[in-house]
Amino acid sequence: MNPADVQTNAAPANISIADSTLAEMLHAMTPKGADDADLYVQYSESESLALEEGRVKHVSCSTHQGIGARVIKGEAAGHAYTDRLEPAALMEAARAARAIAADTQSRAPVAVHAGEQPHALYLPQNPAFAAPMADRKALLERLDAYARSLDARVKQVFANVSSSFTDIRIVRMDGADLHDVRPLVRLNISVVVEHNGKRETGSAGGGGRFGLERMLQGEEAERLTREAVRLALLNLDAIAAPAGPMPVVLGPGWPGILLHEAIGHGLEGDFNRKGTSAFAGRIGQRVAAIGVTVVDDGSIRERRGSLNIDDEGTPTGRTVLIEDGILTGYLQDKQNARLMGMQPTGNGRRESYAHPVLPRMTNTFMLAGEASPDDILKSLERGIYAVNFGGGQVDITSGKFVFTTSEAYLVENGKIVAPVKGATLIGDGPSVLTRVSMIGNDLELDPGVGTCGKDGQSVPVGVGLPTLRIDELTVGGSEA
Amino acid sequence: MSDLQTLSAQLIDLARKAGAHSADALSVADVSDAIRVRHGVVESVEHEDSRGIGLRAFVEKKEDGKHGLAFASASTSDISAAGLKRLVEQVMVMARISEADPDAMPPVGAVHPDARQMTEWQKHHPCPDSAWSIEAARDAALACESAALGYSDKISNSEGAESGFGSMSVAYASSDGFAAAYDKTSASLSVSVIAGKNDAMQRDYAWDRQLSSTTLRKPQDIGREAAERTVKRLGAGGLNSGSMPVVFEPRVATSLLGHLSSAVNGRAVLQQRSFLGDSLEQSIFPEFISIADDPDHPDGLGNRLFDGEGSRCSRLQLIDQGRLTAFLTDRYAAGRLKTTPGGHARRGLTGDIGIGSSNLVMQAGPLSRQEMLHEIGNGLLVCELIGFGINGVTGDYSRGASGFLIENGEITRPVQEITIAGNLRDMFRGIRHVGSDLTWFGSVAVPSMAIDGITVAGQA
Repeated sequence: MNPADVQTNAAPANISIADSTLAEMLHAMTPKGADDADLYVQYSESESLALEEGRVKHVSCSTHQGIGARVIKGEAAGHAYTDRLEPAALMEAARAARAIAADTQSRAPVAVHAGEQPHALYLPQNPAFAAPMADRKALLERLDAYARSLDARVKQVFANVSSSFTDIRIVRMDGADLHDVRPLVRLNISVVVEHNGKRETGSAGGGGRFGLERMLQGEEAERLTREAVRLALLNLDAIAAPAGPMPVVLGPGWPGILLHEAIGHGLEGDFNRKGTSAFAGRIGQRVAAIGVTVVDDGSIRERRGSLNIDDEGTPTGRTVLIEDGILTGYLQDKQNARLMGMQPTGNGRRESYAHPVLPRMTNTFMLAGEASPDDILKSLERGIYAVNFGGGQVDITSGKFVFTTSEAYLVENGKIVAPVKGATLIGDGPSVLTRVSMIGNDLELDPGVGTCGKDGQSVPVGVGLPTLRIDELTVGGSEA
Repeated sequence: MSDLQTLSAQLIDLARKAGAHSADALSVADVSDAIRVRHGVVESVEHEDSRGIGLRAFVEKKEDGKHGLAFASASTSDISAAGLKRLVEQVMVMARISEADPDAMPPVGAVHPDARQMTEWQKHHPCPDSAWSIEAARDAALACESAALGYSDKISNSEGAESGFGSMSVAYASSDGFAAAYDKTSASLSVSVIAGKNDAMQRDYAWDRQLSSTTLRKPQDIGREAAERTVKRLGAGGLNSGSMPVVFEPRVATSLLGHLSSAVNGRAVLQQRSFLGDSLEQSIFPEFISIADDPDHPDGLGNRLFDGEGSRCSRLQLIDQGRLTAFLTDRYAAGRLKTTPGGHARRGLTGDIGIGSSNLVMQAGPLSRQEMLHEIGNGLLVCELIGFGINGVTGDYSRGASGFLIENGEITRPVQEITIAGNLRDMFRGIRHVGSDLTWFGSVAVPSMAIDGITVAGQA
């Protein structure tokens, strides 16, 4: 990919900082003994249209630009972030980033030169480019009318379409200059339904790294709307979920959030280098049943969690975390990989130029097995069949994790008895996958809705799962 | 006038010239430093210097015989002349796309604080110069972590201690001529440590955040609290499912006030997204519960003289002896709910204006922690909650928890891998005791609470 093309396809306005200025910054900030140093130049634009009460009345956009300078020595890192782009402010930032290093000698100056660009997984452009605002507005109005036409019990419709692109430029310690333009779109519908004085809500969404025009065409937006209405109506009839340990069958797709919380965070390099993760020191040990293989793959075309390069310029790829039940790998950024004597895996990510890099997930999923989803459900004597979830969270150190159902059913003798209200499921990360007894042949990735939070930083991620039976998980219902 | 005030005023001018009916602008400049130490050495230093400006513009619309005002919001961190020109162009294009709302509230005619009130406010809320340098912050973090590591030989590892400090300047201007600016500083210190080894590790933390480092808790006290909490969790086991009274210590009771705040948010009420939308003037708590939104409290970090629309803020009783007496409102929600604007417009640089509380202050009760446990007899003390299992429309509640088992009025053992579930409506009504241990966490002040009849799920 030619950086010049990136410029013409991307934003009308863009940051341009002279190569010589960046080289000067690198020289000023990098002490001789530094293990690593880089500059992260970011220009982002985002737009959002939202409909409520039948009107598209919340329209907003934002432009965000700045530069992050970083110096790493051993376990220590110095960071400076600024959105003042005049040379004096940039040099001040460069000096601030150097604060962690005592040595006064600088590394020899380097010339900024084009780095090696890996795969191109998405179009490097503003995803709203071919989707005029008036068309986006018309889409939201169409979905509002459609949702209300589906059922008279629909009382409120909220619809939001947002798009953004982030144009980044990473100049590494050796002067290698890398570019990535990351488009991201998202459509979300939620409804409130009311029947006999009882209210419920349901929502659905989707998106990825592709042109927004795709959301405006075809049936996908209508399908999401039907899904939101279906979920809300279903929840009107939901009974209290049971409380206590029981077998659970997870549906395909977004329930992969189980892997994100139970496994993924605990395998991030920083926690393992520091020995604070419940998974620390367990490489080579059995952490899941035979047949369970879990990967993190940031190189899937157009997925929400995908990146051409991570935020340190490392190409993304597929990292096998668990292979046939055995723990095989960690998710690494450059600093933690170096300190652990491992290779970076393309998982060094930051929310923006004004945040430090952390090892993070991209798209995390379990490979398909051989069981038919029907057989898995039929195997459930009494338990919960959970098809959709809200958010989750994990305590890295104790390994205890939660995730909350948004569509789940009580099942008896392999048959669905009734939908149950949202319940939090709680389990233990290092042992939960040892209780997997059936793996479906129906791997699905989520529709493109995930956002992961760590140390106050949010990044887009993806998850995926085939239908899965776990022989025991604690269900946090209110029916003891 | 400060640079930021000039910038805000300038933008409003530009918007008016571009055809806006009215506009308001918020400018923010932020300088902050953070330092993190782990095992006694510096792990990370961060310095940030940023600025941004947000503009909201209203335009008049006359379409299909409909007449009204539509608006849009735009923000940028590019405050060059070209950046500002582009911002105005963007906001005008979007405002013309946006649909008119007959109830729209342009930034004209709000009840602003007057000059005398602003002077008085500044006098009583001097912006304390942060006494911290990066070196002082480092020393505090080192002292904090060292106190945690030295607390007990059961402490086996550290996630580090972090201290941060910064100052923020904010300027607001609206097209009815109101303009105001203020500075705010903050300082924080936190630490997290680990006890135990291998598959029996536990982690806990402690933190404080204040307007100035001079009023922060002592680093050693924060360190010891984190270590004490961590060590007490060692050996945590399960607990069998059942319905029981649950005591929320102040650190987790804050979340219950957060759920209340979301449910009394005027916008959620208008959108039929709140389980308390139909409960105004009804008793939703026992009589001994009173809760206020207080924008002028000596201990609150959420103090403010005016809100995100320039409306003057004043104290509002939300819960009066158990009764729900008001919703949180900005000017739009107040107009539609036919009440006086509460001054709760919450505004950041990006996106639209929302609604939020300033400081939420609950009245303390008579019982000490020990007396409360004795009153309960048998139940659960919750010290940490994880997960997001709250349905704001129905009030259904289910979250992951850890804490301690209470038997015969005494804490007997740590418990984990359990959930607590119920419905917030029942939980609010089911509060049986309120402790005397009112504690501030930033902008929320809350005591311990004991709540009856919560379903616990788990396995001993």
